[in-house]
Amino acid sequence: MTIRRRLLLTCAASGSLLALTCLVAPLVGSTQISLPRALDRSIPFADNVDAQIFFIARMPRVAAGVVVGAALASAGVVLQALFRNPLATAETLGISAGAALGAILAITAESWISLGPFSPVAIASLVGALLAIAVVYLLASAPRRPLSTAVLLLAGVTLNAFISAIILFVQYLADFTQSYRAIRWLIGDLDVGTFAPVLGALPLVVVAFVMFSLLPSSLNLLSVGGDLAATRGVNVVNVQRLAFFSAGLATSAAVSLAGPVAFVGIVVPHLVRLVVGVDHRVVLPVAALFGASFLVGCDLIARTAMAPVELPVGIVTAMIGGPFFLWLLVRRG
Amino acid sequence: MLQVADVSFGYGPSGQERPARAPFTLRDVTVDVPRGSLTGLLGPNGCGKTTLLKVMSGVLEPSRGRVTLEGEPLHAIPRRRRARRIAVVPQETHPAFDYTVMEMVLMGRHPHLGAFAIEGPADLAVSRDALAATGTAHLAQRRYMTLSGGEKQRVVIAAALAQAADLLLLDEPTASLDLGYQLETAGLLAELNSKRGVTMVLATHDLNLAGLLCSQLVLLRAGRVLGQGATRDVLTTAMVRQVYDVEADVSYHPGAGHLTVVPLRRSGHTDVHR
Amino acid sequence: MAARAKRLIPVAAVACAWAAVLAAQQAPARRIISLVPALTEALYAIGAGPSVVAVSSYDDYPPEVKTLPRVGALLDPDTERILSMRPDLVLAYGTQDALKAQLQRTGIPVFDYRHGGLADITATIRRLGVETGHVSGANRVVLEIERRIAEVRARVAERPRPRVLLVFGREPLSLRNVYASGGQGFLHDLIDAAGGTNVFGDVRRESVQVSTEMLLSRAPEAIIELRVGAPPAGEQARREREAWQRLPGVPAVRSQRVFILHGDHLLVPGPRVALAAEDVARALHPEVFR
Repeated sequence: MTIRRRLLLTCAASGSLLALTCLVAPLVGSTQISLPRALDRSIPFADNVDAQIFFIARMPRVAAGVVVGAALASAGVVLQALFRNPLATAETLGISAGAALGAILAITAESWISLGPFSPVAIASLVGALLAIAVVYLLASAPRRPLSTAVLLLAGVTLNAFISAIILFVQYLADFTQSYRAIRWLIGDLDVGTFAPVLGALPLVVVAFVMFSLLPSSLNLLSVGGDLAATRGVNVVNVQRLAFFSAGLATSAAVSLAGPVAFVGIVVPHLVRLVVGVDHRVVLPVAALFGASFLVGCDLIARTAMAPVELPVGIVTAMIGGPFFLWLLVRRG
Repeated sequence: MLQVADVSFGYGPSGQERPARAPFTLRDVTVDVPRGSLTGLLGPNGCGKTTLLKVMSGVLEPSRGRVTLEGEPLHAIPRRRRARRIAVVPQETHPAFDYTVMEMVLMGRHPHLGAFAIEGPADLAVSRDALAATGTAHLAQRRYMTLSGGEKQRVVIAAALAQAADLLLLDEPTASLDLGYQLETAGLLAELNSKRGVTMVLATHDLNLAGLLCSQLVLLRAGRVLGQGATRDVLTTAMVRQVYDVEADVSYHPGAGHLTVVPLRRSGHTDVHR
Repeated sequence: MAARAKRLIPVAAVACAWAAVLAAQQAPARRIISLVPALTEALYAIGAGPSVVAVSSYDDYPPEVKTLPRVGALLDPDTERILSMRPDLVLAYGTQDALKAQLQRTGIPVFDYRHGGLADITATIRRLGVETGHVSGANRVVLEIERRIAEVRARVAERPRPRVLLVFGREPLSLRNVYASGGQGFLHDLIDAAGGTNVFGDVRRESVQVSTEMLLSRAPEAIIELRVGAPPAGEQARREREAWQRLPGVPAVRSQRVFILHGDHLLVPGPRVALAAEDVARALHPEVFR
């Protein structure tokens, strides 16, 4: 089958799955609602609880799930190619840690700074993530030389450890409610409540995806060897920069929207590779689509598994991702 | 075809200019690669063979001197055009993901692909042709990582062939191969050179392979060229002594049909057996 | 006669000594350390204030505690400091196992505190009275609490009981991470005493994390937020109230029955809980509190 056909087929399949998930998800939740009633225009909106739940509580949540799921899954694919390691994630690079530090500082400082609909915590976590990206990049890059992936990895791990220590220290100084809020943020939650935060994160994610679209073929070549890719016409330095910053941008936007939702960036790329092969021209778009379905699906489970209480989505992804990751490690060993 | 003129190159700590007193890996190297030739780069480990190949392919920029391809300075040629003219077969290839053989070979078509990097029927045809030329057509749908060492090497050569370049640079192409595969690969390279007219530069420490395949040789030691020219002129006992510190018997072997080198003992030592 | 009297002296001496020992055993604690702010307040209310020698890091009421030394809190009790102050009674959380074990080893009595409902607050104060020898003080405080709460109940008895959401925490300026009272605990009891029905009365937990969907489906008729500390300046206060405008369909928002109450007494299950009940009742039923 030609690559073109494979791409069309896999994207159609994963796109259909996404459409189906997005249709079902707003209909299911801890409260029973009826779709005809929710869509009934004759009932004034303020009186129509079903409509309110459908449009205010669930739809933005599904939208957030789509954006965050697609962003985190694609970033995972790109980073794994960049590091030439199927186990690499944004967590490894310290991006999530930077976001966490920003968020926790905002929570502890009881920051009142906000920009329109964006909460102080969201802004601070975005800034934290972007700073982490800058720091790691500066540590690992050298003029006109390709990024040393080994140094990149080490820089990320070091930043992670350092930031974790700072986070623990800040938590110690914080009071009870602040600690609680910080821990909740760290788990990852899609209950955004309005479309505003999603629309705010969207431009960043769109830019990241435009950057992603330039990468797949180069990622294939890069993952076989940097020098070899150079002899085949790939501008290795530029591709590495593009990959690093686009993955960083997508992750930052996603984390500022929903917190660091665990394991999406590693589970989804692997599942996708198992089904469609390893050619990044197919893996990247399919991972974006399937990542969106995956997260919306996990959120559905989170909302219904322990009704009437709702779990944060990060717990569900962790419960799926943890054992999955373990199985991957065992399988490779 | 390819001219390396007075090239010196030194590895510095990554990203910085080579410090003034650091050693050069290559020193004042001048090499001429005529079109259609099969040139061998010989020398002990660490003499700079791999570095010289990287300078020739454009991956590394020389600290001093120039590399020109058919008169054009190599670094002035845009990346993709350079890739359409020079292909490289590295010593080892370890893809991070489980690509199929066909996918590996198709990657060689990258410099020829259009904006969206999707291969067309022409690219597929060239790739299949390359697989056939290296005798690996039957492996097309197999996973690269499941192949044997010899099969892998032939696939990598096929990928370089698919690149349709007129200059092929190979780094120790037979180093990790069994004897049988060594002969096969040598035969394949000879055929590609003679029938398809592919110019080749081969870095190797196998003197007999050099004697078998190469029409001309470049002998390196500690980053300097000690000798260069037609194989029969350059592959001599004196040269082997100079380059390897080894006393060897270099003679034409009628059965093999080419010069062979039999190492006898280290220079200044007595024979191994006595 | 002198000989008989002489024989009585040792008996009298022993009797006196025994009485003294008994009296010493029942003597009120003189050096009390409290790690629980609610219990600190109770100590001062029942009259044991002068015996308090150290408090937790979070204590700030009554004003007398501000000058007292601090010995940590729930997560980080300073065991060394506590021991060095030679207390004869330590009020600690039920979950502070390590600290309690240490104290038991050194023979220092521990007063175990556990969270509970309104009834548990009064029971705890009474128990504290016994342990510290201020039984009458404790009874006085408890009776006062019970009287005031009964009065609140009486005032709101005839009023319709709205469905109430009692929020004790959320993200500033947004409705994310909303924490509300579940169907157990003293906050739930406060709602009941103040003349409301807890929308989460059916949830067998002390706290519930409320998602947007739950807010909409439970549709509270009144929302009360309890916050510690002083109210923020005008602009911020307005923005905080406006956060609820995001859900105009919620009955409480529509009928403008969203109240944000500030005060140090609102979330402390201690002697001022009656004041908290009055504040909540005043917000829910302003008509009967003129």
